[in-house]
Amino acid sequence: MENASLVGLSRQIVLQRKLTVIADNLANMTTAGFKREDLGSEEAFMPKSRTNLFERRDTRDSYVREKATVTDFSQGEIELTGNPFDLVIEGEGFFVVQAPEGERYARGGNFVLDSQGRLVTPDGYPVQGEGGDIVFARNEHDVAVGADGTVSSSAGEKGRLRIVNFANPGQLVKQGKNLFRSQVAPTADPDARVKQGAIERSNVSGIVEINTMIEVTRAYEQISDLIKKQSDLSSKAIERLGSLQA
Amino acid sequence: MKALNIAATGMMAQEMNVNIISNNIANMRTTGYKRQRVDFQDLYNQNLRRQGASTSEAGTIVPAGVQVGSGVRVVATPRIMSQGDIEQTDKDTDVAVRGEGYVQVQMPDGRTGYTRDGSFEIDATGTIVTQDGYSVLPAITVPPNSKDLTISQTGTVQVTVGNATTPTVLGQIQLARFVNKAGLEAIGDNLFVETTSSGAALVGNPGDEGFGTMLQGHLEMANVVPVSELSSLIAAQRAYEMNSRIIRAADEMSQAIANLK
Repeated sequence: MENASLVGLSRQIVLQRKLTVIADNLANMTTAGFKREDLGSEEAFMPKSRTNLFERRDTRDSYVREKATVTDFSQGEIELTGNPFDLVIEGEGFFVVQAPEGERYARGGNFVLDSQGRLVTPDGYPVQGEGGDIVFARNEHDVAVGADGTVSSSAGEKGRLRIVNFANPGQLVKQGKNLFRSQVAPTADPDARVKQGAIERSNVSGIVEINTMIEVTRAYEQISDLIKKQSDLSSKAIERLGSLQA
Repeated sequence: MKALNIAATGMMAQEMNVNIISNNIANMRTTGYKRQRVDFQDLYNQNLRRQGASTSEAGTIVPAGVQVGSGVRVVATPRIMSQGDIEQTDKDTDVAVRGEGYVQVQMPDGRTGYTRDGSFEIDATGTIVTQDGYSVLPAITVPPNSKDLTISQTGTVQVTVGNATTPTVLGQIQLARFVNKAGLEAIGDNLFVETTSSGAALVGNPGDEGFGTMLQGHLEMANVVPVSELSSLIAAQRAYEMNSRIIRAADEMSQAIANLK
């Protein structure tokens, strides 16, 4: 009979984690290029746990466990900023960034120049063009990025931004700092379209998240209630069975 | 509960966002002010069920793991160095820079300051100075008996001395530009100083290749767009509220546990 509490508990643990995922989405509501996460859960059976209240057939108890967090790669809103180094990829694709620990992939196009004139992320990681780092000399001006990712300035063409794609973006792993990591090598995306002077907002929708949050809290309360009732039931049973009939 | 900490990082980030937006709005009428924005980043992601781990001896693997982020942080507050609107003032010593470049100013501590605020004055000794009395570099002194001060597009300062029929050239206002102008440090008083991030200044005359030109009798306004600041403010406020709702939800959940017996 105690299984009911344990089943409830398994659900509560998943709900708590779901709230964590919602909290992280909402915290990153204004993070450029952030992609929201969703936590999926699945039914799990324990090999031995059974409910044998009925004579005929045993029922296997089903528990809940978290299955996977799924990153939603849908496009975020595009906000015009007028900053020449703010870049957006319209549609699919990722910018390639050279992080100290290796090649990383980014959607957040809020780039800046460093003191050496390299195009870098806010952490100073160089954004990669097809021929490596994209560098501007001190006296260059009028930086323009074409729709196909070609970078040019007053000094002429500077090469093309490396934009890549993955057959299955689901295997990308977030590593913080708005970067993704991949074990699979990406493929070049020649059709990617780049927009200059704009930034891709986070694709988190406040309404969706708050809705899920309410669902989570309600479900949590219901289960707490269930666990409480279960405990009341046991205490009642003990009281009744244990009382002496005169 | 982890959600509490995450929501707290979200609220702190939005607070910073509101601070920056209010500073932009406060400086909406500041000559040569360049607006700032806040860039955020997601924090470390915890892998609870690692993607790619094997689930059986037959070689099946976890296709997508369980990854939970731990909130947000402010990573930078870059300045958007775009051109502000140019307003006509008809004052001789007002100059606006159209295009790239900063006017150099001699600060009292010996450093060179860089500014887009061209509302200059002439001090008691005849030197062209900023509103704070800092001399414009290279220093230009206007003789007392001169009139018709003109500053050309290329920064040449000319006056007519006494009853002379031809103007005298007093000097040349130069401009400084930086490879990474967003890396300049704002020190208040409409001044910027160079940093390792901005790189060293490249000095040239207005109108040279890559440099902007001067416009006398005009000033450059702040590049703050009130409508977009206000919409960012509303967005920041809503994001703050939503994060605080997470705190409440997490609290209610803890309460539900506390009420169990």
